[in-house]
Amino acid sequence: MSANYIPQPDLGFIAEIKGLGGETLKKCYQCATCSVACPIAPENSPFPRKEMIAASWGLKDKLIGNADIWLCHQCGDCTDMCPRGAAPGDVLAAIRSAAITEYATPKALAKAINDPSKLPLLLGIPAAWFALLAIITTAFGGIMEKIFHALFGDALGGRLHWSHAHEGAEHVIAHSNFVSTWFVDMTFVPTAIFATVVFFLALKRFIVDIHDNAVLEGKTDKTSLDYKALLQSVINVIPMVLKHDKFNQCEANKDRSTPHMMVLFAFIGLFIVTAVCGIMLYVGGYAGPYPQLNPIKWLANIAGVSLVIGSGMMIKNRLTNKTQVTAYKDWFILGIVFALGLSGMLTEMARLAEIAWLSYFFYWIHLIAIFELFAFLPFSKMAHIVYRTVAMGYADYANRK
Amino acid sequence: MDKKYGVYICTGCGIGETLDMEALTGVPGDEGINCTTHPFLCSKAGVEIIQKDIDEGKVNAMVIGACSRRVNFDVFNFPGCIIERANLREGVVWPHSRETYPALAEDQKDDGEHFDRIQMKAQDYIKMGMIRLEKVKLPEPYQTQSFSKKVLVIGGGVTGMSAALDAAKAGYEVTIVEKAASLGGYAAKLRSQMPVRSPFETLQAPVVEALVQEVEGNANIDVRTNSLVARIAGQPGEFTVTMKKPGEKIPFDVPFPLPPEELVDENGKELDADAAHEKYLKFNEGREDILSLDPNGELYGAVVLAAGWRPDVLEGEAYKHLALDNPDVVTNDEFEMIAAKGKILRPSNGKEAKTVLFIQSAGKDEDDSDFEYTGSVTSMVALKQARYVREDYPADGKAYVIYQHMRTPGLQEYFYKAMQQDDGIFLTKGAVTDVTATSSELMVTAKNTLLGDSLVLKADMVVVASGMVPATKDNPVINLAYRQGPGFRDNDIFGQYADSNYICFPYETQRTGIYAAGTVRRAMTIEESMEDAAGAALKAIQCIESANRGMAVHPRSGDTTFPDFFFQRCTQCKRCTVECPFGALDDDARGTPKANPTRCRRCGTCMGACPERIISFADYTIDSIGSQVKAISVPSEDDYSEPPLRFLALVCENDALPALDMVGMNRVDYSPDVRVIPVRCLGSVNTIWIKDALAQGIDGVILIGCKHGDDYQCHFVKGSELAQIRVKKIGDALASLALEEERVAFAEVAIDEYDKLPQIINDFVEEVDALGPNPFKGF
Repeated sequence: MSANYIPQPDLGFIAEIKGLGGETLKKCYQCATCSVACPIAPENSPFPRKEMIAASWGLKDKLIGNADIWLCHQCGDCTDMCPRGAAPGDVLAAIRSAAITEYATPKALAKAINDPSKLPLLLGIPAAWFALLAIITTAFGGIMEKIFHALFGDALGGRLHWSHAHEGAEHVIAHSNFVSTWFVDMTFVPTAIFATVVFFLALKRFIVDIHDNAVLEGKTDKTSLDYKALLQSVINVIPMVLKHDKFNQCEANKDRSTPHMMVLFAFIGLFIVTAVCGIMLYVGGYAGPYPQLNPIKWLANIAGVSLVIGSGMMIKNRLTNKTQVTAYKDWFILGIVFALGLSGMLTEMARLAEIAWLSYFFYWIHLIAIFELFAFLPFSKMAHIVYRTVAMGYADYANRK
Repeated sequence: MDKKYGVYICTGCGIGETLDMEALTGVPGDEGINCTTHPFLCSKAGVEIIQKDIDEGKVNAMVIGACSRRVNFDVFNFPGCIIERANLREGVVWPHSRETYPALAEDQKDDGEHFDRIQMKAQDYIKMGMIRLEKVKLPEPYQTQSFSKKVLVIGGGVTGMSAALDAAKAGYEVTIVEKAASLGGYAAKLRSQMPVRSPFETLQAPVVEALVQEVEGNANIDVRTNSLVARIAGQPGEFTVTMKKPGEKIPFDVPFPLPPEELVDENGKELDADAAHEKYLKFNEGREDILSLDPNGELYGAVVLAAGWRPDVLEGEAYKHLALDNPDVVTNDEFEMIAAKGKILRPSNGKEAKTVLFIQSAGKDEDDSDFEYTGSVTSMVALKQARYVREDYPADGKAYVIYQHMRTPGLQEYFYKAMQQDDGIFLTKGAVTDVTATSSELMVTAKNTLLGDSLVLKADMVVVASGMVPATKDNPVINLAYRQGPGFRDNDIFGQYADSNYICFPYETQRTGIYAAGTVRRAMTIEESMEDAAGAALKAIQCIESANRGMAVHPRSGDTTFPDFFFQRCTQCKRCTVECPFGALDDDARGTPKANPTRCRRCGTCMGACPERIISFADYTIDSIGSQVKAISVPSEDDYSEPPLRFLALVCENDALPALDMVGMNRVDYSPDVRVIPVRCLGSVNTIWIKDALAQGIDGVILIGCKHGDDYQCHFVKGSELAQIRVKKIGDALASLALEEERVAFAEVAIDEYDKLPQIINDFVEEVDALGPNPFKGF
C-alpha cells in the first residue's frame, strides 16, 4: 500500500451501506476468517477482510473503485463462517449497490432506484406511458394509418404499414393491435441507447478507478492501462461467466447457481428471439405472433419458462434463507425479472385461450416490466452484468491471483 | 500429657500381601508397645477398635500404619490424641511391588547377604512414627491479650466502600480511612463508567454515589476522611492503629529501616550492629520505636488495603514522538476530567473536539508493548471515552483507537462489541510512530495497521493511555510497625502492585492480616474492584475468626501450633527476624525476637534458620524430626556383605509430598532405599538434620520442595529459596567431614510434576551410588 494514506471516514457512507443491506458491517473485528473461507478470493491481498475494515471505517475511496467487490459472487461462505455475524457477503453486496449508484448518471435516478418511496413513480410513469400508447393504438388506429400513409406513401415498396397485425380469423389477438409495434420500438430503442450511454460513461470512470486502486494496493503488475488488452481479457472471461465457474466454487449458497444460470440463459434466449423477430418484421415483413411450431417460438417458450422458474427459485431462496440479508435493491430486481417472465407467459397463454382483454392487460404489465429492466439497467442491481464482467476481465488482464 | 502409645497397622490395600506382617508388628512389639492389625482399618469396625482403646484409656498417642496422611484424615481423627500416620500404602507397597523386589525365601533370611528392601522401608516408617510420638506435644492454641474484631479499610474509593459494606453486612464493625476530604475516590470524578451489569452494552452513571450513601447510612461503618494511617502495630486480632491528618508529623509515624547505602561507613565497610542501630535511631529521630504501642491507638482485627491508584506520569525519551507537550495531546485521565465537565473541547483553543484519536501503545514500531501499568482497563477506558466523543457529537464525531492490544475480558466483550458497532468509532491495531501538530490539527502517523502499512490520521485531540499506578508504588501506605519495614516486601517482582499470589492465594499479602483489594492489586474496572473487595473482606473476616481461635489463617488453616522460643539460649542473632517471610517477628533493642503468633503462618522458616535450634512448634520440633532421622536404620557391612545405601528425603508437604503420593498411586517405582520425612516447608529444614543424617551414615540427603524465584510456587514465599541457600552453605561443613557436597541435593517440583519425581530421586541415588557409601556408616 502507498505511503501515508490519509483515511477520511465518511459517516454518511457507513449509513448508506447499512441502508443497502450491509447493516452488520461494524461487527467485523478483523479476524480474516472471511478471506480464508472465500473460495474465489485471490491469494495476493484477498478479499473481503480489507473491504470490511474499509467499510467499517467508511472509506468510500477504497471501496467504490475497487474491482475486488465485483469478483465476489456473494456465495455467502464468508457470512456462514464469520464468528461475529458481520456478514461480509451482504456488506459487499451493499457496497456494490453503492458503487452502481456512484457510477451511474443521472444521480437522482440512481438514488430513486434504491428508494422504496420512489417505486410508485418509477412504475407509474411507464404504466401511464404504455396506457397512452395503447389508447392511441386502439382508439386512433385509423388516424395513425392515415398519418403513416401520408408520411411514407408507398416507400419501400409499400411495406411500411402502421399496423403489423396479421389479417384473418386465425390471429384474432395480435398485440400490435393493442400497442403498436412502432410505439413499442420507438420507446425501447431510445431506452436501450440511453442505458448504453449511461454504461459507457460509467465504465470510462470505472475502469480508470479500478486500475488506480489495483496499482495503489499492489494488486496488479500492470502500471499503465491498455484498453485493447483489457477488452481481450473481457472476452476471455465470457465463457467462464457463462459456465458459472466462479459461482460453482461456492459452498454456502450452492443452490443459487442454477437459478442464476437459468435466468442468464433465459435472457440470452429472449435476446435472440427479439433480435430474430425484429429482423423478420422489419426486413422480412413477417409479423408475430408466430405459430407454436416455429423453432423461434420454441426458443421463446423455453426461455420464458426458464426465466419464470429461475427467478421464482431465486425469490424462494431469498425468502427461506435467513442468514442472507435481502434488501430492497434485491427485491426490486427480482420482482421485475419475475414479473417480466410471468407477464410474458401469461400474455401468451391468454392469447391462446383467446381472451383478448386479459392478454392485452398482461401485455401492458409485460411492457412496464421490460421498461423497468431496460431503463434502469445501469442503476439497479442488474448492472452487475456489466461491472462484474468488466471487473473479472480486469482481474484477468491485471494478473490478479 | 501422660502418653500411652499404640500402633495400628492396616493390612488392606495390598499392605498385608506385600509385607511380612509378623516382622512389622514385631517393631513396636520389641518396644513393648501394643500393635493391632486390621484388614480394613478405615472401615467403621477398624476405627471402632482404635476408638475403644482410646475410650478405655489404653492409648492416646498412636502410629497408624496405613495410607498417606493426605487421605482418610477425617476418618483417623481422634481429638485429644497425638496421631502419626506411617505411610505404608502410597509410600511403600504401592510404588514398590513384589515383582520388582521379590520377598525373601526362608533360607535367605538372616543369611547376611540378602535383605528385603520393601520390608526395611516399612519397618523404618513404623519406627520413625513411634519416635515422633515421644517427641511431640498436643498443641494449645495461642490467645492474644486483647482482641478486636473490627476491620480497618484503607481507602474510601469504590473498593474500600464495597469491602466495608460487605464486612459490615456480615456483622463486623468497620472503619474506613480516606485521605481525601470525601469518599468516592477516582470513581467519583468520572463522567460515566463502564457497565457493571448485563447487557454490558452502554455506559452507565457512576455507581459511586449510591455506594457513598449506603456507606454513610450504615451504622457499622465509621468513616474517617482527611485521615491517613500513621502506623499499624501489633498483630492480627490486636492491631494498634494510629491515624493522623495528611501532612502531619507525629511521634507515632512509623519508623523506616535504614536504606542499604546507609548501612556502610565511609570506607564502604559494613557497620557493626551497635553503630547501625545508632544510625537507625538518628534516621528515625522523633519517631517512637516499633515496639512502643500508641496508648491512644485504636484496636483492629484485620486490615483491607484498598488504597487504589494514581494516573501514571508520562515523560521522557520513550514518549518523545507523541508530542505530549502539545496542549491538545492529553492523557486518558486528563480527557476524563475534560469530559466530566461537559462537551469535549480542545484545551488549546476551547473549540469543539469532534475528532479524537486514542493511542494505547507507546512502542513506535519497535515493539508492541503498551504504556506501563495499562491493561484491560485502559483498553476499555479508551472505548468508553471514544463513546463520549460520539455522545457529544452524534452527527459527525469521530473517534479513532489505535492499539496493539485490545483487552476486554469476560462479559466486557459485549461492551467492546457495542462500542465497535458505533458508526463513528474506528479501531485498528497499529504502532503510532509520530504525532505532529499543524496549525489547525494533529497528524498522527501509524504503521502496520489493519488498513495498511502506513496511515496518517487527522485529529483535533489525541489521548494517550496512561496507566494505573498502584498506590503501593509510591509509599508503603500500610505503615506497619514491623521490624522488617513498613511496607510489603518483594513488591518489585509484582511491578509494585501490593504483593499477592494471584493464582494460589488472592488477596493475601506477605503480611498476615493485611488483605489487598482493587487496583492496588492490579488494574481493575469498577465492576472487578467491587467483586475483589468482597474477597478481601471475607479474607479479613477469616483472619479475625482464625486469630480469635488461635489458628493459622492460611495456608495452614486451622493449625493451632505456633513458634515457641527457648530464650535462655537465644544469641540475638536476629536471623529469625530477618528471614521470616511474613515479618512476623520483631526484635527489641537487644535483638531478642518477639513472636507475634497471629502474624505467623507456621511455616517454620524461623526454626530452620535458628543456629541455636531454640525454636519449635508443639508437634514439630528440631528434636522430633532429628529423632526420626536417627530412627532410620542404616545397615552397614556388619549387617550385610553388601549393605544397601540409605537416603533421606525431606519433602515439602505442600506440593512435593502430594506429588510423591501420586507416584505411589500410579504404582511408579523409585529407589526403595529412600526414607521420606514430610516437612512443613523446606524453609523449616534445619541443617542439623542433614548433618545428623550424614553423621550416622546415611549416604545422601535430598530436599524436595516448591519452585522459587519471581514466579514462585512456594506456599511460604521464601521457604524453598532459603532452603537452597542453606544447602549451598552446608557444602563447607561437609568438606570438613571429608564428605562430597553432592551427597546433599535440592530439587524443585510442581504439584503436577509427579511424573518427574521418580527420575529426580533415582538420578540422585545413582549419583551418590557412584560416590560410594558414606564412610561414617557403622560408627
